[in-house]
Amino acid sequence: MSQSHDRVAVCIWNAVPCRGERLDATGSKDGRPGSDVMQRLWFQTSSMKKPDLKLVLLGDMNVGKTSLLHRYMERRFQDTVSTVGGAFYLKQWGPYNISIWDTAGREQFHGLGSMYCRAASAVILTYDVSNMQSLLELEDRFLGLTDTANDDCIFAVVGNKIDLTDDYDSESDMEGERPRTSSKIRKQVDLEDAIALYKRIMKYKMLDENVVPAAEKMCFETSAKTGYNVDGLFEGVFNMVVPLIVKKKASGHDETVNLAQSKPEKSKNRCC
Amino acid sequence: MSVQAFRLVCASEREQFPQGIHIECLECSGHDLYLGTSDCVIYHLLLVEQQLSEPTSLVQQTDQPCTSFTTTQQRQRQLGLKKPICELRAASALSRLLVLCDNTISILCSESLEPLPAPKIRGVLTFTLNENPVSGDPFSVELCLISSKKRTVQIFSVGQERVQLIREVATPEQACVIAADGLYLCLALSSRYITLNYNTGHCQDLFPYPSDQKKPIVKWISRQEFLLAGPSGLGMFATVAGITQRAPVRWSDNVIGAAISFPYVLALDEEFITVHSMLDQQKKQTLPFKEGIILQDFEGRVIVASCNGVYVLIPLPLEKQIQDLLSSQRVEEALALAKGARRNIPKEKFQVMYRRILQQAGFIQFAKLQFLEAKELFRSSQLDIRELISLYPLMLPSSSSFIRTHPPLHEYADLNQLTRGDQEKVNKCKRFLMTYLSEIRSTEVANGYQEDVDTALLKLYAEANHESLLDLLVSENSCEVSDSASWLEKHKKYFALGLLYHYNKQDAAALQIWVKIINGELEDSTRPDLFEYVVDFLTFSRDQHLVWQYADWVLQKSEQVGVRIFTKRSPEEYTQNGFCPDKIVSYLCKYHKALLLFLEHLVLEKMLQKEKYHTHLAVLYVEEVQRLNAMDSPDIEQVEMQRGRLQNLLRQSDLYRVHLLIDKIKGTDLHMERAILHGKLEEHGQALDILVHHLKNFAAAENYCVWNSEGRDTPYRQHLFQLLLSSYLTFASHDNSFLVAAVDLLNNHPAEFDAASVLRLLPENWSVQLLSPFLAGAMREHVHALRMSQITIGLAKAENVVYKQEKLNLREKPIVLSDKKYCSVCRNPFQEPVFVRYPSGQIVHTHCATKSHVNSSIGVHLPKPNKQT
Repeated sequence: MSQSHDRVAVCIWNAVPCRGERLDATGSKDGRPGSDVMQRLWFQTSSMKKPDLKLVLLGDMNVGKTSLLHRYMERRFQDTVSTVGGAFYLKQWGPYNISIWDTAGREQFHGLGSMYCRAASAVILTYDVSNMQSLLELEDRFLGLTDTANDDCIFAVVGNKIDLTDDYDSESDMEGERPRTSSKIRKQVDLEDAIALYKRIMKYKMLDENVVPAAEKMCFETSAKTGYNVDGLFEGVFNMVVPLIVKKKASGHDETVNLAQSKPEKSKNRCC
Repeated sequence: MSVQAFRLVCASEREQFPQGIHIECLECSGHDLYLGTSDCVIYHLLLVEQQLSEPTSLVQQTDQPCTSFTTTQQRQRQLGLKKPICELRAASALSRLLVLCDNTISILCSESLEPLPAPKIRGVLTFTLNENPVSGDPFSVELCLISSKKRTVQIFSVGQERVQLIREVATPEQACVIAADGLYLCLALSSRYITLNYNTGHCQDLFPYPSDQKKPIVKWISRQEFLLAGPSGLGMFATVAGITQRAPVRWSDNVIGAAISFPYVLALDEEFITVHSMLDQQKKQTLPFKEGIILQDFEGRVIVASCNGVYVLIPLPLEKQIQDLLSSQRVEEALALAKGARRNIPKEKFQVMYRRILQQAGFIQFAKLQFLEAKELFRSSQLDIRELISLYPLMLPSSSSFIRTHPPLHEYADLNQLTRGDQEKVNKCKRFLMTYLSEIRSTEVANGYQEDVDTALLKLYAEANHESLLDLLVSENSCEVSDSASWLEKHKKYFALGLLYHYNKQDAAALQIWVKIINGELEDSTRPDLFEYVVDFLTFSRDQHLVWQYADWVLQKSEQVGVRIFTKRSPEEYTQNGFCPDKIVSYLCKYHKALLLFLEHLVLEKMLQKEKYHTHLAVLYVEEVQRLNAMDSPDIEQVEMQRGRLQNLLRQSDLYRVHLLIDKIKGTDLHMERAILHGKLEEHGQALDILVHHLKNFAAAENYCVWNSEGRDTPYRQHLFQLLLSSYLTFASHDNSFLVAAVDLLNNHPAEFDAASVLRLLPENWSVQLLSPFLAGAMREHVHALRMSQITIGLAKAENVVYKQEKLNLREKPIVLSDKKYCSVCRNPFQEPVFVRYPSGQIVHTHCATKSHVNSSIGVHLPKPNKQT
């Protein structure tokens, strides 16, 4: 009798950190009270700074998604290796935290795309201006992934590697360290193609063209190598996205719909 | 790479188990360790932690005990089936052990391992306990299982004696792995992962995985978050809502098991246990471990097992890990780890630890000459600034009691060791310290160490010949005197040394240094105008003794500049004994020029109205003029200038002793001055005589008349002008120029003469033409005067008439005095027929009138008496 009494007390005391019956064993018998509890609490409460919204970079492999992000975040160009799975950055933009997801373009990671895009507020679809196929892939392969994004998600279409093409005026950059400068590649994708794609995306999303941002404003040509227009791209998108945060905060309800349902158990837990 | 985050410790060697044992699954709850084997045996062991303190620990600051584990076998039980035990789960609060064997869950007593009469659950593929059950009932556990046939998942509530099915939900496909959190199940289907809300039946796709690849892994890691084995060996994080909040970690392709131990994700493959950090997704440690089959964490304790051995992965203390990172210069990882640990460590302890880590990180960055980063770290960690200063040889004042903290924040003895003697690096470091100290010296970081900071800064400035040295010394500072002084001397910053002494109220020492510089005994070109600086310094010095001590030196250097120590003193000092003008004057008699300047200062600037100074100054002027004149080739311009000064003084001052001066200049050619002096004595005749006849300076004569009559009445002025005129006229017959002068005088100043008397003086033969401007002017003046007086008369008459009329008005009506009339002042009737009447009509007694005369306003306040009877 007294033994069971003992347990009850321990149970209740430990029930608070929501793992109920399993914690008591450590709490009562183990010589390390608390450390375990604390670790779990850490997981629950801190996902470091909580991002206010999410931005996802999508696009075929080797179009330069990681390089674009790296150029923007680190202010320099670095040869990157093929991204595995995905990478994640947190960008402070004014009072807001924006999480930026760099996804892997490789086919084998395609399945992860939907999850990355879930509840995204902005998607940057990236192609390579010297590779028409990379633009076509956006529509064929990547557009479908964005079905999980927010309804009011903003789209941007970005042609990277503009420095490689004959279209690009190379005076301002490059210290001529590469022979490529002289032997430029013909541009395969024009900005008009990107604009046309953007309009098709809007149609696919069944969004009214008059409501969404103008195609000309949401199609960019950039160079991660030289930094051309990279800030313009990210800052342009951030500025477009911030009103969404404001709206989200004002409406006061979390986009992750299902979470709310599991909340009542917390209050139940504190029976005494 | 290669942080030591975990230590692999054997808990139970194969010798402890029977030959040919093959562990299939294990469970650990507190000290209880349960093993399930392939031949249907359950072992219950006691896992005991042992602390062996390490006697030979050199590096470790806290005496870290070295932990090891031993197991002692408690019980074992053969379940009697020929099938392997697939899963074991302890519900320690209920003293129950759940066993999955042959697709059936049976419930045993966790102590005795005896089966209980409670019903068994059959047709179970696999099961899990909800880590975070919704019911919150401490006397039951929530058991979630995958049914082996029906393509459903079932949720049971298991109590001590009962088993109750709560819910059964169909899944889109047959699931094979399950984890649970709250209302959510995370399932691996045949080729994808999903989350399932068992309350609503809502399914959320997570992502596909290649079904041919391997066994999927679903690991509960925290509230509403799971870790899943993804394509290409990715460890993917996913929330129940299907969102990923952390970047994936990259495992090898054939991961068998995964576990979590903050802040690390551990994964087991065929050859290694890999450790990734969840903070930066980097692989941190690889432990070789072959033939592992199980890797699981149990309430923070990570256990790995091969088929016949059990091992514990003991996390190294965070401090130790961080120190390791720091000592391999991996600052950012160390900081990330420390920050990540914030919630894991009591607040006070964390703050102390974190601050220390920041400081260490700061020194690492500093050693890499990454000054910006270092500065930020020092600043945010509130580094005792002396730690940094002490790296620089000789920079701390010798009196400083500072000792570096122990254990040390860095491994460097001093800057020379840190830079390996590279002078350029040393200089960079010094520049950094200079800017850093100058930035923080006024902030609270420097609090309490002001002396150390300022002294170090002074030394750096002096060494680098930096201009801010002087700014530092003239502004508020706490430089330690003796140490700073010897340093400044060493670097020949003598002027600055003087400033230092001055700031520390040792003005005598300061002056001594400066005087030596000026005299050329010391060399320091900081201030080319040092002499003037010293003069100013003495001027504003309150130390009388010091001023008098150096006055001779200063005046010998330059009387002109030196006299400023007296002339520019603040006025109130003149009234004090030390600097009363008499004393200074008598002192200055050795220094002629200085005396002159000083008297000028007294008379002309201070306007001291003392005969002594005025006379003295005038005499000095005279002597000066005489001295100049006596020179072989007198500089005319200078003489004129000097005379100008003399004349000005003579004209403007009325205090000097005129006779003395007249005597003084008797026999010299200072005629103009003599004229002025005569003028002062009202001897205008003599004065004009000098001006007109000796000097023939008619303009000066006219001027004389003008300024001498300034402020006097017209007759006086006319008298002067007439004197001048007659003086001209006396000589007009001999010299035509006098005649011209006389005519010009008349014509130019017609208003200054009494025309009638002038006309009498003039020779008969002068033509009217000649004098017409004078005559016209004089006429005009007279007519003007006439008309002005007529107007005055007219106005006076008019005024008189007005008064007369007023008087008549008052007399017009009779005043009737009866016994009904009362005096307006005393309110009594009149006794006699004598009364006073005010202009307002009130009548009062004569005696009342004289009394109330004082207060004349009385009549106004009184009511008007009725005059009619």
